[in-house]
Amino acid sequence: MAVLLLHRIGGISMAKLVSLISGGIDSPVAAYLMLRQGVDIVAVHMDNRPFTDEKNLNKAMSLVRHLQHLARRPIKTYVVPHGPNHIAFARNCERHLHCLFCRRMMYRIAERIAEREGALGILTGESLGQVASQTLQNLMVENQVIRIPVVRPLIGMDKVEIIDIARKIGTYEISTLPGLCCTIVPKKPATAARAGDILAAEQKIDPGALIERSLEGMYVLDPEAL
Amino acid sequence: MYSILKPCKTTAAFEAIPKERFSLDLDRCEEILGRVCMIVTNAGILLIVNDRCEVSIHKDGRLILKTDSKELAAEQAARISEWLEGTPAIRKPRTHAGPGNEYPPRG
Repeated sequence: MAVLLLHRIGGISMAKLVSLISGGIDSPVAAYLMLRQGVDIVAVHMDNRPFTDEKNLNKAMSLVRHLQHLARRPIKTYVVPHGPNHIAFARNCERHLHCLFCRRMMYRIAERIAEREGALGILTGESLGQVASQTLQNLMVENQVIRIPVVRPLIGMDKVEIIDIARKIGTYEISTLPGLCCTIVPKKPATAARAGDILAAEQKIDPGALIERSLEGMYVLDPEAL
Repeated sequence: MYSILKPCKTTAAFEAIPKERFSLDLDRCEEILGRVCMIVTNAGILLIVNDRCEVSIHKDGRLILKTDSKELAAEQAARISEWLEGTPAIRKPRTHAGPGNEYPPRG
């Protein structure tokens, strides 16, 4: 197992990022790479139930616990109910754009948490060699809803490279435990979304109200307690 | 009506794929299945709970059955087919009569 060497300046952390941790392979690798650079992270898990199962939440918590051990410091972890947001998108918006609405909402919520926590940006495990919806055009449309930077340390890596790191740091075994993938993901997600289409559709769902409801339902969970 | 598959080794569910092509009217499914199961939500996909097994029903007829047991998944898929078979919830694609002529002629 890898030993995390923190490159801190005079023992003081350089910055703080809000790290979106899904329970998959990529996001804990992204978090590790930034922790290794001395960045502090606040973990956020978007809870997709009822479109996933509780195994994903458990996996995400196990991953944060593992990252805490690697970093040798606690990582504050928020769980945000995201299922009601999925229902709003599915009822009101075009199906092939679903992943874009989902990610735009995640970014908006993460930005609010960043404000609360004094974090400078959002950290994600997105990479261009991944699922169909992670294209440069989609990332651009997703970025438009927030004002803080999104740090994507894996953006140019392929899956094999990411898995290699995951194996070295011991997160791969946790990420590949059984868990249900998001069942509301469309069969053919949009790969080149246009901002105009998204904005028109979002007028039907009142993103502001959804964000407030998500933040009201959000809670802090101690990964060691599970 | 269904073939039961494990979509990937890490998933905690089984997928039931229709043996024949058809689509589902989820509003009608909700109406029919609501009499026998608990409806969680109808939002692009229909989520139901039957006998403690959660099932996602998709418009293209696919079912995602949240269970570790293939037997339970098959049993649940069979029950759902039974409930929906012959109802207006199932829309089969139009075909022309005659063996080996399942698709409409071109032009």
